Amino acid sequence: MASSFSIALMPRVLLRPKAVFSQLAKDSPSATGVFFGFALWLGILPPVFAYIGAMNFGWRLGVVEPLFFPWYITLGISTAYFGALSFGFLSAAFIARWMASTYRADVSLGAHFALITVVGAPLTMGSVMHLYPHVFLNIVVLVPALIWSMYLLYTGLPVVLKTDTERGMLMASAIIGYLLVALVTLLGITVMLWSYGIGPRIGI
Amino acid sequence: MSATTISSHPTHYEDRIVTAFTMCSIIWAVLGMAAGVYVAAELVWPALNFEQPWLSFGRLRTVHTNVVIFGFGVSALMGTSIYSVQRTCHVRLFAPELAWFVFWGWQIVLILGGLSLLAGYNAGKEYAELEWPFDIAITVVWVCYAVIFFGTIAKRKIAPIYVSNWFYGAFIIVIAMVHVVNSLALPVSLTKSYSLFAGAQDALVQWWYGHNAVGFLLTGGFLGMMYYFLPKQAERPIWSYRLSVVAFWAFTYSYIWAGPHHLLYNSIPEWVQSLAMAMSLILLAPSWATMINGIMTVSGAWKKLRTDPALKFIVLSLAFYGLATFEGPMMSIKTVNVFSHFTEWTIGHVHSGALGWNALIVFGTYYFLVPRLMGQPLHSRAMANVHFWLALAGVMLYVLAMWGAGISQGLLWLSLDDFGEVRYSFIEVMEAMAPYYLLRLVGGLLFFTGAVLMAVNLFMTMFNGQTVRVTPPIAAKSGGH
Repeated sequence: MASSFSIALMPRVLLRPKAVFSQLAKDSPSATGVFFGFALWLGILPPVFAYIGAMNFGWRLGVVEPLFFPWYITLGISTAYFGALSFGFLSAAFIARWMASTYRADVSLGAHFALITVVGAPLTMGSVMHLYPHVFLNIVVLVPALIWSMYLLYTGLPVVLKTDTERGMLMASAIIGYLLVALVTLLGITVMLWSYGIGPRIGI
Repeated sequence: MSATTISSHPTHYEDRIVTAFTMCSIIWAVLGMAAGVYVAAELVWPALNFEQPWLSFGRLRTVHTNVVIFGFGVSALMGTSIYSVQRTCHVRLFAPELAWFVFWGWQIVLILGGLSLLAGYNAGKEYAELEWPFDIAITVVWVCYAVIFFGTIAKRKIAPIYVSNWFYGAFIIVIAMVHVVNSLALPVSLTKSYSLFAGAQDALVQWWYGHNAVGFLLTGGFLGMMYYFLPKQAERPIWSYRLSVVAFWAFTYSYIWAGPHHLLYNSIPEWVQSLAMAMSLILLAPSWATMINGIMTVSGAWKKLRTDPALKFIVLSLAFYGLATFEGPMMSIKTVNVFSHFTEWTIGHVHSGALGWNALIVFGTYYFLVPRLMGQPLHSRAMANVHFWLALAGVMLYVLAMWGAGISQGLLWLSLDDFGEVRYSFIEVMEAMAPYYLLRLVGGLLFFTGAVLMAVNLFMTMFNGQTVRVTPPIAAKSGGH
């Protein structure tokens, strides 16, 4: 039921996550409903914030001069960011569903989409800091958001995917392992693109 | 059987030495991590060296790496290998008196070696900083360690050699080989020597040593620990024994070639660099085979998580093992390395392995081992659970701070201005790092606090008991003759 999974859930995700998890476990939302009705729009926010911030303030890496790019390069970077987030969302949800039978968890795709959306919500909210793209300030906001997301993953997974707490703990750890690998892959791909001359002007 | 017979021909496993290694390893963990936290603080507030040479970053950082790797790590490996080789061979340790020599020899080398580093004596090779008298002492102790380990395997009562012993065995042999070759030097005094190698050869030998210390000590040795203690904790056999053996040979063959990836874009032959990169990428296969084997073993033992705080550490260590063994090959790709080399990203990578994999698997093993060694329940499960969350938060903060720092540092170092000149001065880039260093310090402090909690918890467990005597099954069946 897609209607129960709406933008109105956002404050409750942040304030009363356990109630949201129980509701999701009862409702069994549809995958398309969650993705097109909620996750997609939430996923657009960080790239939009990043675009606005980079155009107005430049990338601030802690030294005197901020880095400014022409609008079309900034747009390209923001689009790539959106692509990476979408890939991260979809791959995490599909990999979680692939793991589900090992951990005797719910295999419906909608439940996995809903779980990843809820887990990612604090990070999406934290991305408001992209409006002022100072790297350290972003880390200061996004690291606690990440810890909050991890807490949501460990506590929410057994409820939403209807498995034992202990199996949920193992599955959550496996998903964290995947996400860390995906994150470092993103760093690697980014750096490779920079090395090939796509991105900021660097002396390689 | 009289008590006199037992003492003159003991049939029980020699476990007191395991207790001794475990205690020292815990003490070294606390000391080494304290030194790490202190040098992390010095990077934020340089005045913390109080203008004392022995408190300077250059000396303390070396003490930190030596103490955590050789004090905490190797003491843990020696203790756990002695514990597991007896049980997988169903025999008492070969030459226990020699094992006590190994114990005392190793601890004395660590204490005097650490003091010599603080005093400023340094051979100038990373992870092999101790001067030549220590190198000789290490060789003697290491050969004795090999004798007791392989001697125990030689007199085993079970024909197959269990996979953990293959990994521990490879660790002992390869470390002996790379230590001896890399330490070849011409002494000019008791405290100073010069390497027999020079220039590019010196660099190649150094990183052949350095990378195989990572490979066969921090990876191979700890995989030996995992292959014995994980199935024990999970109370089920390893998911695929065949996969573990295939992974062992693939790992052993490919790791030994990967060292020159530390020297990409340096004055060594291009083909050596490309070969090292290719072998590093191949390494991903055996590394992940092992990770999958571990995860599948533990996934069948989920009920144990209700009662056993130790297993959580092992689960998380496998996730970080997967991360570190993926990140390493990726960073050896030349187009990534040209950017990441010399940046804080490398420090983050090392610590995702050292904190996330090595330290967590030792913590998990000790929470399992110490109560069994002592015949006592763990002093506090609540403290162990708090330790788990501190360790997780600490390592995540550390790694993310260093990823952020590394990417920023690489980008700033390489940024060009409109005239094609380097845009930022070194000091500007250094200044930009300060906030990340602060974040890293917080992460390190959290991790260190967890380690102190563990030390208190385990010493309280030890305080109430003494090492239990366990008899090998075959000796027990035949009446303990």
